[in-house]
Amino acid sequence: MMPNPFNRRVALATALLVAVASAAVAERPEPEVHGTFDGDPMYTVLPVDAIPAIRAPEFLNGEAADGQMSPDEPVLGVEIAGESHAYSLWQLDSHEIVNDTVGGRAIAATW
Amino acid sequence: MVHAREVDGKTLTLLVSGKLWRNSLVMQDEETGTLWSHITGEALEGELVGTQLEIVPGVHTTWAEWKAGHPGTLVLKKSEEIKASRYERYFDDPERTGLFRANWLQDRLPGKTLVYGLRSGPHSVAVVAELLAGGDAVEVELAGETITLQQGDDGGVRAWRADGSAVDVLDVFWFAWSSFYPNTAVVD
Repeated sequence: MMPNPFNRRVALATALLVAVASAAVAERPEPEVHGTFDGDPMYTVLPVDAIPAIRAPEFLNGEAADGQMSPDEPVLGVEIAGESHAYSLWQLDSHEIVNDTVGGRAIAATW
Repeated sequence: MVHAREVDGKTLTLLVSGKLWRNSLVMQDEETGTLWSHITGEALEGELVGTQLEIVPGVHTTWAEWKAGHPGTLVLKKSEEIKASRYERYFDDPERTGLFRANWLQDRLPGKTLVYGLRSGPHSVAVVAELLAGGDAVEVELAGETITLQQGDDGGVRAWRADGSAVDVLDVFWFAWSSFYPNTAVVD
């Protein structure tokens, strides 16, 4: 198996909503099927926006951010047209989606 | 992952739909209510079906490595102190994968194996992340092309074709990758 720090660092995206949903589903063993897409069911687990996406992100520069970040904290980084933005995955755990604009481009960073 | 959130000249605000498909996040835009697959960027239901959110290259790394490679970076501001993931136990427990077994889940690797996934049309290949952890370059075949993967100085893994053009890489648990791409090749 992989050593733990590496595991945390690159651990994945798509699993998170699943983790949040686990508790809800445990209380309700048969989740509602919203529909079937390409042969696979889509389940409704939580109401829309129950996990609040970030709509108006605020930023710090790298030096100021050292005060809120650990050196080994996992981040999602994106660079567009010379502009770089980083998002802490620990912070994204509670939001999953950041609606942002980087290098003039409207993007969504998701975890 | 990072997606462009402009479709047909319209800028979308993407929300967490509360729905899961193939054990992964489904997004919903506020403007039209369309449901979007996180992994593929495809519109699954709603007004914008037939369109797809373009995937923008993003990398997963640590704060120290990202800052060293991008000294001018901006960082999403925290509204409160956050010192750890809420999901430590989830990541560390090999038995906890998706909630629902997908129709085509492949058992070729343990579900929680981290892989780097590449796709091109109907072709896909998953490279076990451990192979890249030491900084070695790995070459794979995808749709008849040779693609090179390597971890960069900022800690992020990137992939490129022989002509140097970038290929989108998704870092993902095997259980999720194999739910979407059951016929994927595997490099381990």
